[in-house]
Amino acid sequence: MSTPKSTDLGGRALDFVMGIVEAPINGFERLMGRKRMPYLFLAPNLVLFGIFTFLPIAIAVGYAFTGGTGLFVSDRPFVGFDNFRQLLQCEDYLRPGSCRESLFWTAIWNTLWFVGFNVVATLLVALVTALILNRAIAARGFFRAMFFYPVLLSPVVIGLIWKWFLDRNGLLNAFLQMLGVPPEIFLLDVGWSRFFVVVVSVWFHMGFYTLILLAGLQAIPKDLYEAAAIDAASPRRTLFRITLPLLGPNLLVVLILLMIRSVQIFDEAWVLTNGGGPGTANSFIVQYIYQMAFGSDLRLFGLASAASVLMGLVLLALTLIQLRLGRKMES
Amino acid sequence: MGNLKLTSVTKSFGALTVLHDIDLTIDNGKFVVFVGPSGCGKSTLLRIIAGLEDISGGGIEIGGRDVVHLSPAERKIAMVFQSYALYPHMSVRKNLAFGLENLKFKRSEIDARIAEAARMLALEPYLDRKPRQLSGGQRQRVAIGRSIVRNPDIFLFDEPLSNLDAALRVQTRAEITRLHRQLKTTMIYVTHDQVEAMTMADEIVVLNGGRIEQVGTPLELFDKPRNLFVAGFLGSPRMNILKGKVVAVGETGVTVDVGYGVPLQARIDPAAVAAGQAVLLGIRPAHFAVGGEGLPFVVQYHESLGTETYVYGTFEGSEEQVIVHQAGHFAPERGALLRIMPQPGRMHVFDPDSGLALPRAIEERSAAHEHA
Repeated sequence: MSTPKSTDLGGRALDFVMGIVEAPINGFERLMGRKRMPYLFLAPNLVLFGIFTFLPIAIAVGYAFTGGTGLFVSDRPFVGFDNFRQLLQCEDYLRPGSCRESLFWTAIWNTLWFVGFNVVATLLVALVTALILNRAIAARGFFRAMFFYPVLLSPVVIGLIWKWFLDRNGLLNAFLQMLGVPPEIFLLDVGWSRFFVVVVSVWFHMGFYTLILLAGLQAIPKDLYEAAAIDAASPRRTLFRITLPLLGPNLLVVLILLMIRSVQIFDEAWVLTNGGGPGTANSFIVQYIYQMAFGSDLRLFGLASAASVLMGLVLLALTLIQLRLGRKMES
Repeated sequence: MGNLKLTSVTKSFGALTVLHDIDLTIDNGKFVVFVGPSGCGKSTLLRIIAGLEDISGGGIEIGGRDVVHLSPAERKIAMVFQSYALYPHMSVRKNLAFGLENLKFKRSEIDARIAEAARMLALEPYLDRKPRQLSGGQRQRVAIGRSIVRNPDIFLFDEPLSNLDAALRVQTRAEITRLHRQLKTTMIYVTHDQVEAMTMADEIVVLNGGRIEQVGTPLELFDKPRNLFVAGFLGSPRMNILKGKVVAVGETGVTVDVGYGVPLQARIDPAAVAAGQAVLLGIRPAHFAVGGEGLPFVVQYHESLGTETYVYGTFEGSEEQVIVHQAGHFAPERGALLRIMPQPGRMHVFDPDSGLALPRAIEERSAAHEHA
């Protein structure tokens, strides 16, 4: 294998690098055969993926069946399904207080409510934003960047910014006072704090989903809209009969991602609500897992792992259902 | 009524003007083809008629009605797109029904129109299929069907055959022509393919650089091109252009010398030229007689198409390529010297500065008029 010599600087640099790697690559190729070479290149990432993704999953599943507070598997007694039993033991699932792990069930109900509102709100806001940005409006690039910008921020920063904004002496109250409205301690009110957790989440993540939907909108051929215009379709009918059906696959992707990420709500809400407050009003499932495992001196890794496994199974089921629906939609 | 009148239509995109002062009248029921090279403005003009593009100036009337401020749907036009633009998620039936549903037609009327269009285009077996389950030709027919059900005053076709293979193109060309005879509705058809223009049109509009070069029947344009552009654009292979000089002006024509010691007689109006004036002679490949006296033509190569042969070569001592058409089999050797002579009365004479055709001799013009 020899590469033609280049004359420009970039080309020469490339030739230099290729010269260095050529010999070992040729050696590997002789050793493994050409067909197996792709796996050689995939190997580094596979190793990292194995160590930081597969292995933790396996360990978590293993830990879910052990008890005690030891860190190493060897220190942990096997307890079978005890952790799962503890999580699921309940007189009435609708009343978390009647459950043995009442915090777990509180977190589940909080998370379900949050997922419901957050998925609907984010989807609607992202869709409307994408539809507007897809039009030939002035400064479109600026708006696109603006809506995407929060995605680049750290969740902790997001939580802190909004906390300052919503604080008793925060910007929002200052503004309300200017209008003569009495101040409200938003983050200490159950309703308001839940409302703002959704608002913050929508603001934080919508840019990402807007981008996916915008890509889908731009993939719809312009011809179809012109044909629809000639076919006397009203803007409403164009939206519901042309745009949304053709955006279906993108909407499905957004729905799946949004649902998974909503179930995983944790960091920004944790910072914003000072650890799930007021009380347990904003205590979510990941927070419960975190608190069981790392939040106290108890180190209930078994219980935390069991909760993780349950959450993972639910997410898997949801994803499979949605994918199946997606396939049905396509055919 | 599907007559169309464009008055001084101009279209600019920013500082770029793509259509200059287009004046055009199309009578009801005519099949009119807009033809021209890429970027000549033909598609833009069609889209302006459809209402998909605004105009920068001028007026548009359809059926005597000013439509400049009307939406595409209100103009009573239907359009067949180059890409077909079928709604991919709808069945053929729903594609055909969509426009009628939007116009709130009764279900029974919609079904009747779909059935009629499907019968006309042999689409009955495919009504419940999605566009992606159809071949290119079938999709094309669905796109035409979607136009037919609307029962428009004017059909607009934007290069509808360019995505089809050669055989299907010929077949669909014939189908569209048949459809026009059947429906007797005005059709405006955009193409860059001069064969489509020549074979389908009642009237051809040749566009170039955003201006109309000439409007006429296919044979008018072929026989009497108004300028060098039209002469060169219509006819395949293209017209040969020779540089020459008027050496003598007679009563019924002029004598032009193109070199090689063979003076050529051109039947143009003697009053339009003076002796010594430089001219360009246009001669179509098919209008040379081979053999006997004539211009010395050195053969480079030939293309045999079976029923006809194109011979490529140059005049002796010249670089410029000349193409000669011969019917049937004809296989001259490379390097062979042939004598070729333009057929009398088949020569076109152009002014080299303006590119305009010089007026023909009077009796020829009247003869042509009688012929027409």
